[in-house]
Amino acid sequence: MRRRSFLVVLLGLAFGARADPLLDPITKGAPVRQGRVKLEMPLLADNGNSVAMKVSVESPMTESDHVRAIHLVSERNPEARMASFHLGPRAGAAEITSRVRLAGSQRVVALAEMSDGSFWIGSASVVVTLSACVDEMLS
Amino acid sequence: MTTRREFLKVSAAGGLAFGFHLPAANAQSVAPEINAWVVVRPDDTVIIRYARSEMGQGSMTSAAQLVAEELECDWSKVRVEYADTNAHVRRKRAWGDMAAVGSRTIRQSQDYLRKAGAGAREMLIAAAAQGWNAPVAECTASNGLITHGPSGRKTSFGKVAGEAAKLAPPKEVTLKDPKDWKIAGKPIRRVDIPDIVAGRIRYGIDAQLPGMVYAAIAQCPVFGGKLKSVDAAKIEGRRGVIRVLPMEDYVAVVADNWWRAKEALKELPIEWSFGGNESASSESIQQFLRAGLDDPSNVVVARRDGELEQGLAGAAKVLEAEYFTPYLAHATLEPMGCTAVVKDGRVDVWTSTQNAEASHATAAATAGVPLENVYVHRVQLGGGFGRRGGSQDFVRQGVQIAKAMGSTPVKLLWTREEDTQHDFYRPLSLVRMKAGLDASGNPVAWYARVSAPSIISTLLKLPLKEGVDPQAVVSFADQPYAIPVVRVEYAQRNPHVPVGFWRTVGHSQNPFMRECFVDELASAAGKDPYEYRRGLLPAATKEHGVLEATAKAAGWAGPLPAGVHRGIAVTEAYGSYVAAVAELAVNDKNVVDIKRLVLGIDCGHVVNPDNVVAQMQGSAVFMLTAMFWGDITIKDGRVEQSNFHDYRMMRLREMPKVEVVLAPSGGFWGGVGEPGQAAIAPAICNALFAATGRRIRSLPLKNHGFEIA
Amino acid sequence: MAARIQLPGRARRGEVIRVGILIQHPMETGYRLEVDGRKVPKNVIRSFACRYNGVEVFRAEMSPGIAANPFLQFHTVALDSGELEFSWVDDAGQPGSAREAIEVT
Repeated sequence: MRRRSFLVVLLGLAFGARADPLLDPITKGAPVRQGRVKLEMPLLADNGNSVAMKVSVESPMTESDHVRAIHLVSERNPEARMASFHLGPRAGAAEITSRVRLAGSQRVVALAEMSDGSFWIGSASVVVTLSACVDEMLS
Repeated sequence: MTTRREFLKVSAAGGLAFGFHLPAANAQSVAPEINAWVVVRPDDTVIIRYARSEMGQGSMTSAAQLVAEELECDWSKVRVEYADTNAHVRRKRAWGDMAAVGSRTIRQSQDYLRKAGAGAREMLIAAAAQGWNAPVAECTASNGLITHGPSGRKTSFGKVAGEAAKLAPPKEVTLKDPKDWKIAGKPIRRVDIPDIVAGRIRYGIDAQLPGMVYAAIAQCPVFGGKLKSVDAAKIEGRRGVIRVLPMEDYVAVVADNWWRAKEALKELPIEWSFGGNESASSESIQQFLRAGLDDPSNVVVARRDGELEQGLAGAAKVLEAEYFTPYLAHATLEPMGCTAVVKDGRVDVWTSTQNAEASHATAAATAGVPLENVYVHRVQLGGGFGRRGGSQDFVRQGVQIAKAMGSTPVKLLWTREEDTQHDFYRPLSLVRMKAGLDASGNPVAWYARVSAPSIISTLLKLPLKEGVDPQAVVSFADQPYAIPVVRVEYAQRNPHVPVGFWRTVGHSQNPFMRECFVDELASAAGKDPYEYRRGLLPAATKEHGVLEATAKAAGWAGPLPAGVHRGIAVTEAYGSYVAAVAELAVNDKNVVDIKRLVLGIDCGHVVNPDNVVAQMQGSAVFMLTAMFWGDITIKDGRVEQSNFHDYRMMRLREMPKVEVVLAPSGGFWGGVGEPGQAAIAPAICNALFAATGRRIRSLPLKNHGFEIA
Repeated sequence: MAARIQLPGRARRGEVIRVGILIQHPMETGYRLEVDGRKVPKNVIRSFACRYNGVEVFRAEMSPGIAANPFLQFHTVALDSGELEFSWVDDAGQPGSAREAIEVT
């Protein structure tokens, strides 16, 4: 099954463990839940070289309840793991802004790893309008 | 009666008023929207929305036919309206892909368009049934009327549209079998023809706004250079000149009319920092590509069936040839341009574009405003051919200049010279092919190495899987002949000349090279070129089918008048299958008189036969022009050609008779806008070989002394 | 490697502050070609860390999926006056660093 279809399956789940070669290296097969994670990216990007990204996770960010890490995963880039951001109680807020590179229109997933070992995801779909010309042939 | 330069009124909602029959850009109808694609007015007018671009390829009409077919409306009441990009963004891309590229408007959208039509029909029927308190199953729709079978009660779409719009869309719909089509599949006149003929059509170049000023630009003549300095003082005093705007990679002169802007620009002293490619020439570029053909490294394998060395060693005869195709310009009749106004954080753009969504995104990024604040006003294009899709440079420039001019609307227009010399050219390509034939003349091994730029890498900056650019090696890597050993290699070599998508892209050149080489093999085998191909194409393939249909229509086996010779070619392109037979005579002055060009296409389904024929004929004009004269040459790092005197277009009287064979085999959806070009050049060149004994391995033909009759 | 830092010069103890940094770096994907067809080697900033008075408060692992001239904005709790130190290394082994003082009252 290709990378993109795995993510489609995954995003349809509310709960439950499922083999996912994309997220498993991070989750080690632990269940992944939808929610708490908001990934904001523009609906359209004129090109994929520099696309704004903001990820925020609902969390009190206390010693006992905080976000340990946020991982950005691409369904289409040559390297699936775009970035991993390691936080902790000293962060105060689980919110990261950056600019990413997208190899074409795709869905990006933000996977949050909590201090209690749970995993939560949010996602955003970006259409890279200039790459629309060849999207078909490169997917 | 509207004049060409009529003042366009901008409504409060940002809409534009065009002619009555034209898609009214941004005038999103308020009357009941049954779904994003279908609006039905109380007077029974049906507005069908069109998301992509209409540039003469006729898809606007074909798309509407598909919706109308399932909708069961009265075609005479249909009007087509462009989907508005601002609404599109606010409604989370309600209209999906807006790109008219890759010959895919119909084949990519047919499913959801037909479902939209069917869904709207079901909602209209349900509304009528509800109003009658009758079971839905007893009601049917036809020609814009809904009838309750048992009672004979009737109502029209317009009367129930309001109620229908409130209903939930059906979860599932059944689509008609194309054999039952009454509107689709028919040669219906294009919806925009009356307005084109009457001069009411609006192109990007026609935009007019109150208080508008005009901009002409100059970009660095050597690709990759930057602007160093300008001496604005030298022209600032000229009549009508308003501003001189030096930008990073171009300089714009803004004036109260375009002539003054352009003339002032000519007198502006400009210093460029050329960027290092000032000594590049067609010769140096050829050398660079040739090195790619011989380089043992920096090359990737696109296809490997069996072992080439073994295959060639076991052959009775080995043939080798090198083929070349040059850079080509798009030469759209309407040069690049963009009219824009940036005011109070809002951006309005009028531009001829093949992808309104891309123009929208580019305008937002350039102006630094949210997507919701951009309005792209839809217009027809005066030619696209791939220039206006994958590059939105003219939008970036138009919005940059408009932003610099405060809230004054600016019309940017490129000169023909600027357009010719700052294109994203069809890449040149140098290909070496080798084939081994067995004792019966059948190919047992086949090799091709392509040394050429990559559009995907350089223009789109996307990574290539294993370094292979599918467009650069198309028709080689996916060649259809039954040859046991096949090896295709790609050496990506990117000279400084920018490349882009030119109509038919890789299929505009690779089938020429392949099909001419196949002809060389047939010749070496002493076989008829048609029978040779027929023998090598598995009988079940679509290539086989369209080749046969075209050869039959051309009467391949029959006698020809004295002096007339034939050539043939076949290929797949954009999901369709095309073949061509050319009949021509060449006199002792090398004047080529094309007596007949027979073009066959199997595109699976035909939505508008008249339009498919028109696209094939148009493809013939475009490809004959390119193959006879098309040649963009480089000297001192710059393009030598500038206008139609040195980049010649075909004339009406030179156009040969073109017969089109429609051979849709059903069961799939192939493209129509581009495939038509693919088999023409090899068919003509193969006929030239038959006529003169000269094997043409490079284009254009003028470089071999040929002219058209 | 040049870098520009965004940091409030002073903050109140316990305040959650936003920290930003823009690093000049091509983040070479490894997919570009030299003129003769050779690949320009992949070279991206892989690891990035922010230490607040010597204690790591933020760490990032990046890839070619982060755009050229990487821009990062994150948050940290203002605890004591002192210094925020940023450090990073790219695939070619080239290190970079920047620092900025903060006053906490």
